[in-house]
Order: sequence, then structure tokens, then C-alpha cells
Amino acid sequence: MNNRIDTTLKADLKKFGLQSWNDCFHCGNCTALCPLTEDANLFPRNSIRTMQMGLKDKLMSGVDPWLCYYCGECSDTCPRDANPGEVMMTLRRYLTSLYDWTGLSKKFYTSKVWELGAILLLGGMVVLAFALFFPTINPELTADGGVRINSIMPLQWIEWADWTMGIIVAGLLISNLMRMYYKIAFGAGAVRIPLALYFKEAWQLAFHFSTQWKFSKCDGKRYWLWHWLLMSGYTIMFILIMVFLPWFQTEEIFEVWHPQRLLGYYATFGLLFGLTAVIIGRIRKSNAKFKFSHVSDWLFIVMLFLTVLTGILVHFFRIYGMPMATYYLYVAHLAVLVPMIMIEVPFSKWSHLAYRPFAIYFANLRKAAMKYHEKTEISLATT
Amino acid sequence: MGEIKPTGVFLAFNLSDLNGIDPMELGEYVKKIPGIRKVWISGEELDPDPRKILTEINEHKLKRIILAGYEPGMYKSAFSYAMNEAGLDIRDVGLASFSEYAVKTIDEAKAVLYCTIFGIPYPEARKNGSAIVLSETLVIGAGIAGIQAALEIADSGNKVYLVERTGTIGGHMAMFDKTFPTLDCAACILTPKMVDVGQHPNIELITLGEVSELKGSTGNFEVTINKKARYVDENACIGCGVCSEKCPQNTYSEFDASTTLRKAIYIPFPQAVPNKYLIDAENCRFIQEEKCGVCQKVCPAECIDFNDQDKDIHIKVGNIVVATGFKTFDPGKIKEFGYGKFPNVLTSLEFERLINAAGPTGGNIRYRTEDKKGNWVFKPKGSEPERIALIHCIGSRDRNYNEYCSRVCCMYSLKLAHLVKEKLPESEVYEYYIDMRAFGKGYEEFYNRIKEEGVHIIRGRTARIAQEDGHLTLRTEDILNHRLIEQEVDMVVLAVGLEPRSDAEKLADLLGIKREASGWFLETTTGCDQCSTLDQGIHLAGVCQGPKDIPDSVAQGSAAASKVLQNIIKGKVDTDISGLHDIELRAKELSSIMEDES
Repeated sequence: MNNRIDTTLKADLKKFGLQSWNDCFHCGNCTALCPLTEDANLFPRNSIRTMQMGLKDKLMSGVDPWLCYYCGECSDTCPRDANPGEVMMTLRRYLTSLYDWTGLSKKFYTSKVWELGAILLLGGMVVLAFALFFPTINPELTADGGVRINSIMPLQWIEWADWTMGIIVAGLLISNLMRMYYKIAFGAGAVRIPLALYFKEAWQLAFHFSTQWKFSKCDGKRYWLWHWLLMSGYTIMFILIMVFLPWFQTEEIFEVWHPQRLLGYYATFGLLFGLTAVIIGRIRKSNAKFKFSHVSDWLFIVMLFLTVLTGILVHFFRIYGMPMATYYLYVAHLAVLVPMIMIEVPFSKWSHLAYRPFAIYFANLRKAAMKYHEKTEISLATT
Repeated sequence: MGEIKPTGVFLAFNLSDLNGIDPMELGEYVKKIPGIRKVWISGEELDPDPRKILTEINEHKLKRIILAGYEPGMYKSAFSYAMNEAGLDIRDVGLASFSEYAVKTIDEAKAVLYCTIFGIPYPEARKNGSAIVLSETLVIGAGIAGIQAALEIADSGNKVYLVERTGTIGGHMAMFDKTFPTLDCAACILTPKMVDVGQHPNIELITLGEVSELKGSTGNFEVTINKKARYVDENACIGCGVCSEKCPQNTYSEFDASTTLRKAIYIPFPQAVPNKYLIDAENCRFIQEEKCGVCQKVCPAECIDFNDQDKDIHIKVGNIVVATGFKTFDPGKIKEFGYGKFPNVLTSLEFERLINAAGPTGGNIRYRTEDKKGNWVFKPKGSEPERIALIHCIGSRDRNYNEYCSRVCCMYSLKLAHLVKEKLPESEVYEYYIDMRAFGKGYEEFYNRIKEEGVHIIRGRTARIAQEDGHLTLRTEDILNHRLIEQEVDMVVLAVGLEPRSDAEKLADLLGIKREASGWFLETTTGCDQCSTLDQGIHLAGVCQGPKDIPDSVAQGSAAASKVLQNIIKGKVDTDISGLHDIELRAKELSSIMEDES
């Protein structure tokens, strides 16, 4: 194991938004105050120490930053103004870039030019694709007065593009998760995990992904609710678009109570509500977690907000029969949506949707494995 | 007037230490002084990079450079290097340090800079003849530091006025049971000194007094002291205590840190000096509502006078010693500890009274309980706590409250832990600390002794206290053991830090002395002269200058006394001129004298 103090890590982390690294005097106030920490995973102080000593390997083989949901109580009461909550946030950015084997994540996090450039490039490609294939726009309305939305591009093409995008994103995410898993299971201080435990603990993944139970233990139920609405809206919309596109994007206008519209409206409401709350919070800096906004924080919120906004407009223009407005906004909608998914999900802030539940899963596996080893040792000792 | 070498001035300001001084204005001022070829303002035009400085020196044909600011020495090496490279004398890099002269206004900054440019020491340019020093001295505050200073000056045969705001002298030290690290009885050291003060022919003690006005100048101050009405004739009172016995009105006792009740007519504690009763007008039924008056009826010496009035006392003194002490931090500000909500979360001062043999319980450790009238007090009867926790650094070393270390809390906490172990040998004592500061003579040994006595000493700052079913739970990270602990205890003592008194600002304005950012009175030089202020007739002693323990306070009291005696023996002090224009003229004059001499 590494037995030196690595002074380069601090410089590296500064690029990810680290403000100060040497303020902490290790009183342990933050850890003792944290509602989520426990003996097996002590944070934030311990992570700060690891960071100060430059123990990159130790950082990578742990999951502690992912277990923090940033209630900000530690930052509010820190006697040294060392902002433990923000350090954890920075570490999450840093870990995201370490898991990513393409190196793009680091580029996006540390350079505005790279991130904005990539977004503009992908958005431009979408617009270009429509311009080149500008096919069979049909300004005529359907029988019930709606716009023939699928005439702009054959729906099947959009679906293929969807699937291609889905496979690329999933491939990137899964490969990054494998790297994360490898470091945790075989990195510094790893514990051997019996195979059966992987299945026994698997329910944790689905449970924590869908409920975000840990977040609700953080600071009050209010932020948890905002976040849950945002997350559930996003997930529903994601599934509707990726899996059920032909069912969801119809030219026929269904009644309001039709599941297609109800699901769409719920998802839109969830997204809009959660996003508005977060945007207001970040502008007002109303809570420690909103006090410092990295470029990647804002970029993600703004992109998602624009996607939702254009989506809503497309929907209403289509229903009320405004063909040209619908077509232009549809292109704009995709020009924001595609870069958001392609860049934010595998390389930037949105990747936490995968890393967080897996981190909890790995942390619990480790705990269960340690208990298992303890038991076997005891039974060996007694026989 | 001598010619000034072509000079460049670098104004080295950090945004954090501007002190309200506008660097631009200062720059404009300096540019107008003849001989100044170039002015740089840090962060604006010039990085202190030797190569860039060298180019600038050559470009403007500079022969000398002056660095000005609060910490200008920080940049000196870069400029010296550049001067050397330019083939010039590195002794021509001059420093105009604002912190050295405690500069607080732009005019002072201008004056310091002007003097430096003309090569005249600033104090020299300010000097304006001398003044006769009166042999009388005023000591403000009669805690241990003030008492020590007053006694030493008085013993040399000079008159001392000792002004104390409360009804008795003694200050905080009188409240303590033992002193660290020797575990001497605090009262045994203090009370003989207090009695000496009371009987000394050269000390005029003014209790219930506050300085309200200062006129005159160094060496000849005219001071007005506002003496509050005592309502008891000090000369007639025989201290029998009948009045207090009969008084029907109760209120929290200040001397017992509000852990018990006293009467409206009272004596702060049995060894008080002067040992005379006084009436607390705010709580006296007769003074407030003209009902009662029992004390007057029962007093055998007929010394109670409800018509007593506040009065002003005018005195003339040559020197003043400021020894106003401190107040303790109010832990109610930290909501996580529940102080004020949980009755058995105490401040260290309250616990000092609880454990004091002369305290409300006679030195027995008891729970704080509610009496019939709803007052939370310590009473001698009741059960004993078995587990006591002490938490260090409350309100100290915390950027949300006071960033400085209060210096005494580690040691007094260890002392309290020892006293608990002494009185309740079966009890468990837990100390939660961040860093253990046992820095003085015999302190580290004392720390080791406490560890050997079986006190559990845990590294980690307790973050939260919860109260459930009558016991308190402390949540702390046990840093050295890599785990969280939730410790159940019966009583918590918060080691509160020291803070400047709330009227320190008022007093500083009144006396014309400076305070530092944290609020303590500012001495001239931290390292070398802790008891002098910029006014040669005003001296500091004790905690009012910065947190310190009893030995250090006594030492500083003696040091202040010796400063006073120096002035008295010399019989005169140098006086200062103020006003930028006068200082400028004086500096020019001195500079031409120097020129002639050479």
C-alpha cells in the first residue's frame, strides 16, 4: 500500500471545485453530527483526512462520498468553516472522473470549454441531422386537430436513434460501474465477499434506487420529497421515451385520463416541481447544500429544465394544432435532450443515479462479508 | 530640507486587513510627496516578482523602495533581491508597518508612511515635549490582576484608586475552588490580598463604581467615576446580616453564577471586601414599589438609606491600569448542546460554584433541581450524578463564535475532572477534547496525573447532546479509535471560553485605547510589551488584554505596576502630537536637522 503523502491530489481536486483543503483540524464534529454515517463508514472527517494525505487509492476503494446526501449540517456547524459537505461533493465529482475510463468525465468537470463544446457539438449534430434529412413535413392537421408530429422524421428512425443512444450510455455506465466495483472489491483494504451475499443483498439496489431511503434520513423529508419527485418523474419519462416511444409519441390525441397522458403529466409535474425548487434554492443559497454551485451543477439543471420546457411546449403546440411551432420546438427539444443524456448521464452529475445505489449495495456487502468472516472465525475458534 | 532619493512605494494590502483604509487614497497621497517616482498597489499593478520589480526599478530609475502595509515584511525578500540585482544597496528597502503602530485610520497610515519616507521613526515625529506625571494611579477592575497591580503600586508609597463595578473585589478568581496545576485553594491565595486592599492606607477602594469620563492628557488625567447607590452606609454597617435574613425578595446570585438564590439586600460572599451589605435596586421591593422596607426596620446600626443617590467622584491621576477581565461565552448560542434547555448541562463557571466547598451545596456534587417557585437551583440535599462529561472548546477555536483559543479551558477542565474524582471516587468522568493544551510549568505533569486518576480522555468534539429519561446522551467521533460513541451521562460541563466584556468597546472609546478584531484591548507589541498601550499613561493587566490564566494575570498585574512606577519615578512622560499636518511638519524638521548634523 501507498506509504507516502501525495501532494498532487490537492492540486487535482482544486480543478474539481475544492476550495480549501487544510482548514480542517479534525475535531470530528461533522462525523458525530452526520445522520448517515456509521462505524463501518465514517465520514466526512475521515474522507477529508484521506484527501489531505493524498491517499488516492484509499479514496477510490471506498464509497463514503456516495453515502453522503449533503444535508449541510456539518458545514453549518464546522468550527473551522472547512465545509465538509462541499468536500464530499467535490470528492463525488472526482470519483466520477476516476471511474470513467474514457477520460472525458475529467475533461468535462475541469474545463468549461470541453463541457460546453461537447454539448454544442452534439446539439448541433442533432439539428444537422434534421436539416439534412428534413423529410416529409406535413403541415396538415390530423382529424382531431393535432399536428402530424411523426411526419418530421419516421418514428422508427427516432426509435433506432433512441436505442443506439441507450446502448452507448448503458455501456459506458456499466463499464464505469465495473471499474468502481473492481476498485472496491479488490482495492486497498478490500474484504473478500462470498458469492451468495451478492444475491442476498441485491434487493438493496432496487430498494435504494426507487425510494432513496437514506436521503429521507438526511435533513427532513422536504428535500427528499423534492428529489424523489424529480427522480421519479425523470425515470418515468426516461422509460416512456426509451422503451415505449411508439405508444407515447402518437399523433392521435387521447383523452386526458388516458394512461399515456396521465403518466406524461405526472412525470412533467415531478420534473418541473423538483427543478424549480432546486433552482430557487441555488439562486437564494437557502441551504448549505445550495451554497456552492459548480458549473456542472448549474449546467445539468439548466439542460434538464430546457428539455422539460421544450417538451411541454411541443405537447401543447401539437394538441392545439400549430405545426411549424411544433416542428421547430421538437428539433430544439431533441437538441437539448441528446447532449444532456449523452454527457450528463455517463460522464457528469447525472451518473450519481447509478453510483449511489451501487455504493450503498457495495457498502452493505462489505459489512455483511465482515460479519460473515467474523462468524466463521468464531466457529473455527470454538471447534 | 534634505533631498529625497528617487523612491518607489509598494502598498502591500490584503483585502482582509484593509481596516477601512482605502489603498487608492493612500496611493494618491503618497504620489504627491516629492521624490516619489512610482507607487504600486498590491494586486493592482505589480506582482512581487523580483524580475518584474527589477524592470520597474530600472525603468523609473529608483534608488530606494518603501513597502507599506500591515505585514509589509512579507514582500521584503523579493524587493531586496531585485535591489541587489539592480546594483543598489538592499538597506534601501524600507518598511512602513501599520501593525507596528496599530494604525486604524487613513491619517495614521499617511503619517506612518510619511515619516518612513523621510527616514524618521514615527514615534519620534509624534513626540512633543514631556508632561509631569501625577503620582496617583487609577486601577479599573479589582480582579486578581487589578488587585496585584494596586497592591504593588500602593506598597511603594503611592496613592491608588481601585474602581470595581460590583459590590466586592475579587473578580472571577473568588468564585473558584482550586487553582491548577498545584490545586492550591484559590480563596487562600486571594482573600489575604483582598483584605490587604481593604486595609491599605494608600488604596482608596471605590466599589459599585464605573469610569464615566476621561479628560486631560497623559500624566494628568481627570477621571469621573460614577458610583452607584449602595443604599447602605459603608461606614456604619456592621455586617450582622439581619437585613438579609428578613428580606422577602429572592433573585439569582451573580457570585454563584446564577445557580442559587440570594436576597435583594445581600453581601456577595462571606469574605467580600468591603464586608458590607448592599441593595440591588432592581429587585428591592421598597425601591421599586415603595412596599416593604423590612431591612430598614430591623437594622440595628440604622445604616440603610433608601434615598441614597448615584454620585460622581472626580479624581486626578497620572496613570491608569485597565484590568477589566472577561465574561464567559454563552453556550446557549450553540443549539446542539441544549444549554438552557437541559438543566444538568452546566457551564464550567456554574460547575465551579457547585464543586466549591463554599458554594451552594457545600462542595457536594448534586443535580440542578427546580424549587417550589420554579427556579432551577443547586441544593445541598439530593442524589449525586455518577457519570459526568466535560466538553472542551465551547465557543473557542470555533470560527462561528471566537476563533482564538481561550487558553485556560483545557487546564481548568482537567482540574474539575480531578475534583470530581476526589469528591466522587466511584464516578466516571469523560473529557472530550480537540487538542490538549497543557503548556505551562507543571501543566503536562498535571495532565498525566489526571489520566492516572482514571479520567476517560477522548479525542473528539462532541457534536450533540440529547436528553432522554433523565440522562444525557453525547454523540462524538472517537477519532483515535475510528468509531462513533454515544455516551450516556448524568451531567455535562461545557468548558466555555473567555470573551471580552460586553462594554469593552465603550471603555476603549472612553480611554482612547485600541481593541483588536477579537475584541481584546490591544497592547503595543504582542511579543515584547503586553501591558503598554499607545498611550504611555494607560496600561493593561489580566485577561482584558487576551485570555490568560491566574499566574499570567498576576505577572501582568505586577508588570503593569512596574510600568506605572517607572512613570511615577521619572516624574514625566513624553507627550504626543496628533494631526497629520503637524506630524508632517515635525518629520520634515527632524529630517533637515539630521541632514545638517551629517
